[in-house]
Amino acid sequence: MSLLPWYIAGPLIGLMVPILLIAREKQLGLSSTYRYLGSFILPRNSYFNYDRKKDAWQVQFAIGIASAAILIFQFDLYESESLDSSKEYLRYFPEVCSLQNWFMFAIGGIFVGFGARYAGGCTAGHCIMGNSQLSVSSILSTCMFFAGGLAVSHFILPYLFKS
Amino acid sequence: MRNTVKSILLGAVFGSILIFSDAFNWYRIQEMFHFDSFHMYGLIGSAIVVAGSVTWLLKKAGVKSASKQLIQTKKKEIRPVGNSIGGLIFGAGWALTGACTAPIFILIGYQWEIGIITLAGAVIGAVLYGILNKKLPL
Repeated sequence: MSLLPWYIAGPLIGLMVPILLIAREKQLGLSSTYRYLGSFILPRNSYFNYDRKKDAWQVQFAIGIASAAILIFQFDLYESESLDSSKEYLRYFPEVCSLQNWFMFAIGGIFVGFGARYAGGCTAGHCIMGNSQLSVSSILSTCMFFAGGLAVSHFILPYLFKS
Repeated sequence: MRNTVKSILLGAVFGSILIFSDAFNWYRIQEMFHFDSFHMYGLIGSAIVVAGSVTWLLKKAGVKSASKQLIQTKKKEIRPVGNSIGGLIFGAGWALTGACTAPIFILIGYQWEIGIITLAGAVIGAVLYGILNKKLPL
């Protein structure tokens, strides 16, 4: 399947919020998955010693995401659109998702996990769910997500991939 | 059991939309941070508008959930330092991996080694937060 345009995919993503509220009475979010998983590593830590059952649905939701991804890529249903290669950032690295770059993904992953827990949410919980409720903490977090991403994308990545 | 199946299926739908709209693609995320395409902005912006307006309408109309409750939403508490510093760190990770929370699970299907490494990193990040959390300002 070729790229879904934003005006179709965006509203569909947005609809997940009321659908989850009706079907499961849950607010869209995913980063509590990390707290749930962390609670198996450090069960005695006060942050992880909590009723993890309340976050179980997010883990199930994440399992759904991963299963869909495995099927879609296994059966080659995803067609990547070639992005305009004249853009500078596309020259950073031709094939980013390769084991050669494992360290960048490991560090990036740590930042995502730590940052999402410290900020109290991620792109789903803050940018979509929280902003749609005009929550001040989500608006602030979204601006900061963006600021952090801008800085790394403009100043760190070109340096990392300097050839 | 029913609820578990529902959560997994909804996750699969959510994941499929994110895949077919390229939201997990490293280059799309860089493209967004370089203001070179409207795609990601349109995606996130229209998602927020639809989520907010449909939820508001359902609340107004008094629509009830599957277990016959009125629809309620809670706002997350503001944590000025946590939202800011945590947000900056999260954003840095988003640009490095091209993936936020949901796309990390998509990476598992796309390129499993990278997906597992990124997920392991994220869990380690959460563990670090658990260790430091009492010492960090809110």
